[in-house]
Amino acid sequence: MLKLHHISKQFDDKVVLDDINLEIGTGEIVSLLGPSGSGKTTLLNLILGLTPMDHGSIIFNDVDLTHVPMKKRGFNIVFQDYALFPNLNAYDNIVYGLRNKKGSVSEKEVQEYIDFLELKPHLKKRIGELSGGQKQRVALARTLVTNPKILLLDEPLSALDGVIKESIKQRIQSIAREFKLTTIIVTHDPEEALTLSDKILIINQGKISQFGTPQEIINRPENEFVEQFIIKQLQIKRQNIYNLFGEMYA
Amino acid sequence: MHKVKPEMRVVFTLLLLLFAGFLFLPLIVLLIRSFETDQGYALANYVSVWKERDMIGAIWNSVKVSAVTAFVTTVLGFILAYSIHCTKIYRPIKGVLKTVIIVPMLLPTITYGFAIMYSFGNQGLITKIIGHNLFEIYGFNGLLIGYVIYTLPPAFLLIHNAFGYIDKKFIIVSRLMGDNTVRSFSNTVLRPLAGALGGAFVLSFILSFTDFGIPASVGGTYSVIAAQLYQVMLGSIPDFNQGAVIAVLMLVPAVFGIWLLQYLEKLNFHYDKVTEVELPRHRVRDTGFAVVSSAIVLGMLSIFAVMFIAPFLNSFPYDLTFTFKHFTDVFESSDLTGVYKNSLWVALLTSLFGTLVAYGSALLNVRTKLRARGATDIVSMMTNTVPGMVLGISYLLLFNASSLKGTFTIIVLCNIVHLFTTPYLMAKNSLSKMNPSWETTGELLGDSWFKTIYRVILPNSASTVIEMFSYYFINSMVTISGIIFLVSAHTSVVASKIKELQHFAKFNEIFVLSLLIFFTNLLIKVLCDFLQRRRAAR
Repeated sequence: MLKLHHISKQFDDKVVLDDINLEIGTGEIVSLLGPSGSGKTTLLNLILGLTPMDHGSIIFNDVDLTHVPMKKRGFNIVFQDYALFPNLNAYDNIVYGLRNKKGSVSEKEVQEYIDFLELKPHLKKRIGELSGGQKQRVALARTLVTNPKILLLDEPLSALDGVIKESIKQRIQSIAREFKLTTIIVTHDPEEALTLSDKILIINQGKISQFGTPQEIINRPENEFVEQFIIKQLQIKRQNIYNLFGEMYA
Repeated sequence: MHKVKPEMRVVFTLLLLLFAGFLFLPLIVLLIRSFETDQGYALANYVSVWKERDMIGAIWNSVKVSAVTAFVTTVLGFILAYSIHCTKIYRPIKGVLKTVIIVPMLLPTITYGFAIMYSFGNQGLITKIIGHNLFEIYGFNGLLIGYVIYTLPPAFLLIHNAFGYIDKKFIIVSRLMGDNTVRSFSNTVLRPLAGALGGAFVLSFILSFTDFGIPASVGGTYSVIAAQLYQVMLGSIPDFNQGAVIAVLMLVPAVFGIWLLQYLEKLNFHYDKVTEVELPRHRVRDTGFAVVSSAIVLGMLSIFAVMFIAPFLNSFPYDLTFTFKHFTDVFESSDLTGVYKNSLWVALLTSLFGTLVAYGSALLNVRTKLRARGATDIVSMMTNTVPGMVLGISYLLLFNASSLKGTFTIIVLCNIVHLFTTPYLMAKNSLSKMNPSWETTGELLGDSWFKTIYRVILPNSASTVIEMFSYYFINSMVTISGIIFLVSAHTSVVASKIKELQHFAKFNEIFVLSLLIFFTNLLIKVLCDFLQRRRAAR
C-alpha cells in the first residue's frame, strides 16, 4: 500500500502540485492522467525520489519514505525514451544492474523475464537495431530484474505505433497480475488510461480532479474538467469509430 | 535531472581550484605587475612602453598585417568551402582538398617562417625555379604569407562547418523563382554565411595578432607586438613590468575580438532541417573552382615542399647531392633527441590530463545541477580569449620564484589551460546530446555516479574523447607562443628549440625536427581518425 499525504510542490513561484492525497493498493495499476503541464510527471518523479517535495509525506507499507533517497526506496522506472545504454547490447542492458547486486536475481529468473517479454531472439542486437516495441520491452526487462517494489512508467506507449501499442498494453497488465506489482503510469491519453488501469488519477493544474475506477469516471464524472476533457474526447473517438464501422458494431 | 552528489562537488571544486591557480590568479598578477612601479602603483609603465618602445608603430604594424591576412584568409577559406559544398567537382578531389588544407595545423608556426625563407629567399627553391626574387620576404610580405598559411585551416573549418548548416535546397528554390546569379548567390550563400565569414575574419585577425612563431622567423625589422613582447621579456635587458604592459595591450584586441565572434555567431542561419540536394551541373563554375581551389592548396604545399627536400640534400641550395647525414646527425645528437622526447612527453601528459580536465568540466557543466556549473563556461571563454603568450608571461610572473619554475608540470599546465576551449566545447556538444536519464537509470540499477560515468557515459562518448586527445596532443606538439617563456634548459621542447637553433643558423636541424613533429602528429591524427571511425561504424 502506497500512501501520499498532503503533497505539495512548487517550482520557483509556480505551484505544480497542490495538496495531493492518494492511496494505491498493492498490485494495482494506476494511471496519472492529465494535460501537459498538469503536474503528473512531477508526481511520478516525486514518488520515485528524483524530485524532492516541499510538503507532505510518502508512506509505503507503513514505512515513511519521505526522506529516503531514490536509490534506497526500491522503486524503479521506465523512462519515456527508455534511456537504454547504446554501448551495450540488449542482453547487457537487461543484466546491467545485476553486477551491482550480485546474487539478487538468479540466472533462471532473468531467463524467465526474457521469455516472458519474448526477447530471446533480440538479446545480441545493438540498441540501434531494435524497433520501438522491442526497446520498450528491453527497458521493462532491465527494470523488472531489479525486483522493484513499485514499477513506474512514464508515457510508456507514446513512442509506439498502433498494433504494438495494444500488445504492450496487454503486456503491462499481465506483468502487474503475474508479479503482483504495483504499477503507476503517466499518460496524457484518456483512452490509454481508462483501458489499461484499475484506477485513474485525473490531475488538472496540480490538483486531483477525480480518482476512481474507469467505470466511476465514465459514469459519474465529478466536475466540468473531467466532463469536457476526458469524456468528450472519448465520445468523439467513439463517434469516429461508429462512422467507420456503423452503429451495429458498437 | 539528477541530484547533486558530494563526489560531484569534490571534482568541481578541484577543477575550480585548478583554474583559479592557473588562469585567474596569473592574469590578476599580470594586471598588477603592469601597474607596479618604484613609486607604488601608477601608469608609469604604460607611459614608458609608449614612449621608449615605439609601441604605436608595432601595434599599427600588427593591426595592418593582421587585417590584410584576415581579409585574404577569409576569401581563400570561402573559395575552398564553396568548392566543397556548392560545386560538383569530382568527389575525390574534394576529399583531397579537405585533407590537405589542414596540413599546416600539424606544424609549429615557427617552421612556416623557415619554409618561406627557403622557398622565396634569395637562394630559395621557388626563387630558383622562377629565376628571380618575387618579393622581399622579411617583414610584411613574409608575415602575410606565414599568417595566411597559419590561419587558413581554422578559418576554412569555421566556414566549412557553417556551410553544413545551410540548406542548399534554397539555392534551387531561388533559381526556380527566377533570381539572377548575383541575387541568388547573395541570398542563399552569402547572407546565411555572414556570421561565419565575419567570424573567420576575426579569428584569423586574432590568431595573426597574437602569434609569435612567424614574426620570430621572418619578421625581420618589421616590428610587431608579439616580437616586441618577446624582446622585452627575454631580450638583453629584461623588464617584466613593461612586458606585463605589452601583454595587457595584446589582451585588449583579443577580448574585443572574442566579443565580436560571439556577436557574429548570432548572425548565422540555422535551418531547422538540412536536406541533401542534388546541385545542377555547371561546367564553367565547377572547372573554375576546381582550378582555383587546387591552386590555393598547391601553393600552400609548394611552400612546405622545401622542408621535405632540403634536409635530404648535402647543403641546400649549393650542394644538391642526396644524403641522410642531417637525419643521422640529429638522431646522434643526444641534445636533439632529448628535446624530441621532451616534446612527446609534454604532449602525452597534456593530452591525458587535458582531456580529463576538459571532459570533467563539460560533464559537470551539462550533466549535473551544480549551482555554479556555469563557471566552466566562463573559464572556457577566458581561455579562448587569452593569447598563449599572455598566459605564458603571467605564469612567468607568478611562478618565477616557485618550485614550479623550469618544470614539465608548468608547461603541461600552461598547455592544458591555453588549449582548453576547443576540447571542452567538443565534450559539451557530445555530452549534451546524450539521454539525460542515463545517470538516474544507472543509479536505480545500483551504480554510483562514477560507475555510471565509467560504464555508460564514457563508452558512449569514446569517439569525442579520442578527438579531444588528438587535439590536445597535436596542438601541444606545435604550440610555441604559450611556452616560450616557460621552458628551461632541461625542459626544452622541439618548438622552442627551433627558435634557439635559428640563432646558430642550423636550418637543416630545424627542418629535421619539424619533420619529426610533422610525422608524429600525422601518425597521431591518422591513428585517432581510424579509432574514431571504427567506433562510429559500430
